[in-house]
Amino acid sequence: MALDPDLRSSAAVADAGAPRGAVALDEGAWAGVEELDVTIVVPVLAEDAEVAQVVEALGSELDHEGRTWECIFVFDGVAGESFERVRAMRGQYGGRVRSISFKNPFGESVCLSAAVEQARGRYLITSPQYVQIDPVELRPMLAALDGGADFVTPWRHPRVDPWLARLQSAAFNFVIRQIIRMNFHDLNCYFRAIRREVLEDVAVYGDMYRFLPVIAFRQGYRVVEVKVRHLKEWGTGGFFGLGIYARRFLDVLAVMFLTKFTLKPLRFFGMIGGAFSLIGAGICTWLAIKKLFFAVGLSGSPLMLLGVLLIVLGVQILGFGLVGEIIIFSQARNLKEYRIERIYDRPEPPEREEEAPPGGDRPSIG
Amino acid sequence: MPNVTELSVVVPIYDEEESLPVLYGEIAAVLDGMGLTGRRSEIIFVDDSSQDASLHIMLELRARDPRVRVVKFRRNFGQTAALAAGFDIARGRVVATLDGDLQNDPAEIPRMLEELNRGYDVVAGWRRKRRDAFVLRRLPSVVANRLIALFTGVPIHDTGCTLKVFRRELVKSMSIYAEQHRFLPILSAGRGARVREMEVNHRPRRFGKSKYGLGRATRVLLDLLVVKMIAQFSRRPLQYFGILSLGSFVIGGLFGFAALFGPTFGARSSSGSPPDQFHFGDWEMAICTILLLFFALFVYFALLGLLGELAVKASGMHRRSTLDRILNELH
Repeated sequence: MALDPDLRSSAAVADAGAPRGAVALDEGAWAGVEELDVTIVVPVLAEDAEVAQVVEALGSELDHEGRTWECIFVFDGVAGESFERVRAMRGQYGGRVRSISFKNPFGESVCLSAAVEQARGRYLITSPQYVQIDPVELRPMLAALDGGADFVTPWRHPRVDPWLARLQSAAFNFVIRQIIRMNFHDLNCYFRAIRREVLEDVAVYGDMYRFLPVIAFRQGYRVVEVKVRHLKEWGTGGFFGLGIYARRFLDVLAVMFLTKFTLKPLRFFGMIGGAFSLIGAGICTWLAIKKLFFAVGLSGSPLMLLGVLLIVLGVQILGFGLVGEIIIFSQARNLKEYRIERIYDRPEPPEREEEAPPGGDRPSIG
Repeated sequence: MPNVTELSVVVPIYDEEESLPVLYGEIAAVLDGMGLTGRRSEIIFVDDSSQDASLHIMLELRARDPRVRVVKFRRNFGQTAALAAGFDIARGRVVATLDGDLQNDPAEIPRMLEELNRGYDVVAGWRRKRRDAFVLRRLPSVVANRLIALFTGVPIHDTGCTLKVFRRELVKSMSIYAEQHRFLPILSAGRGARVREMEVNHRPRRFGKSKYGLGRATRVLLDLLVVKMIAQFSRRPLQYFGILSLGSFVIGGLFGFAALFGPTFGARSSSGSPPDQFHFGDWEMAICTILLLFFALFVYFALLGLLGELAVKASGMHRRSTLDRILNELH
């Protein structure tokens, strides 16, 4: 994970929460700690986050299942009461509850990345800052990971929030399904269970954590959707603002572009540019025919200008695609298109089974 | 050095359960015939997430023959990705690529190696007598190949043939993506490699059916633009865009010329009315619009070229380009 230097300085592991002597607090000690089954990651965005309830609910369920766990709270530019509550939990949970805090808010994607760096669990569970989903649902989700899935995304069904929120969410997910052509019903719920390697591999930034299942799927990971029981929802009354809709739309556009056209930008820009140019050429041809055969004046209407403008616009869009191709080509080394699940190699230590025949009859190649 | 791997054979596999045993038998026979036993050669099967029993068969072959290496993809990533993965893990000093569907004849490999040793970096197969349906496969391919050769100036008759032999340094220095496997000879030539084409035997399909259709031919035009650019101008995009820029300038200039000396000029002077600088006739109006917009394109492309230079510079690619030197030192 690449953090910019500015971030690195302000993202400090604030508190390991362990009694002195049992687990050292400095970063060097993280390396030595054994691997756990599950790391719960909770980005804290509000001061009145129900941190204690989350640990209580998820922790007891995991204990019940006999899985070892830890919980990392990431305070995204938030301090105050919830921070004190996490501190207070040390007495009960010891080193199993940790926290990372940012001085400034960086958004949930960065929270997630920071937590992944610190996580010791084989599986990660990302949870909102309150008990959104019935903790019992952890069982099928983790079972899916045990069964070979890499990413479990929830589907809140039925939902408990007001009809307006449901309607907006359903509309959003419907549009996404049409655009991305993938069958995810509920991308807005962040109660996810993820294998750690996935998050070490799939980089997220900005608002992309919303589309994490989509991106992970495109990278070749097995993404499974599990229906879960919805308990409650925080702060989604009324309509979302126009700004939110605009941002969501841009997110969708970015995801569609990045998942489909990252490696062939000219396909995307070429299609759009070609369409513009064709329309423009059509208009110009029509005008020329009218002028030549029916003596209808060209300058009487702005169609002429529109036609030529469309042609030029189309060519310009094509030009963007070409620059995109250059950018991708020059970075091709860093962008591996494929993901290998496993290499079945030949057995490694060579046991001198096959000595090559001595020099003479060896064909020279290369 | 007895354990140097001389030859890696890379075969992308997608749903080829019927062909696989036969294919393996043929490749193994060829390798044995060349005396490349044990660690001196390897067969890399790249399983592009097959739905059938292909992987199972490959693993069985691997259990029998230590030369076989199998790469399993997480999901279907396509033939280019499969070849790229094969190139990345290949250990051989020479890398040969083959199709998994038995249409390429592995028995051609020794001949191609001989040709490579005459001082080439790539030997590409040319399926002169293709055994495929004419309208659906051969005709589009011939047209596309002619276009590619004409446009890029690399005289290749058949870029689509997977049967090729590469020098190691070449494949290790190239990162192919999207659908570039079809343009490998051109991309190689763009990197300064000596490319040689050679007629190879092509066999009709024995099992399964073709995984390609006519649809891909429609993309050839866009691919052409890209391949031309990245094969020949990837290090100096300004030159590529400079050509487009100059092209726009010339077209704009032609329109300007037409505006000055075209038929409308004569028509106006014959009408008898005094020429008015600020009143344009119909055709002049059109021509001037076009002229202005083409001049806008002229500036635009030049600036895009500068943007491209910036991208290349930022990637540090211009500094990495030592391939030409390496290939020259080899000969």
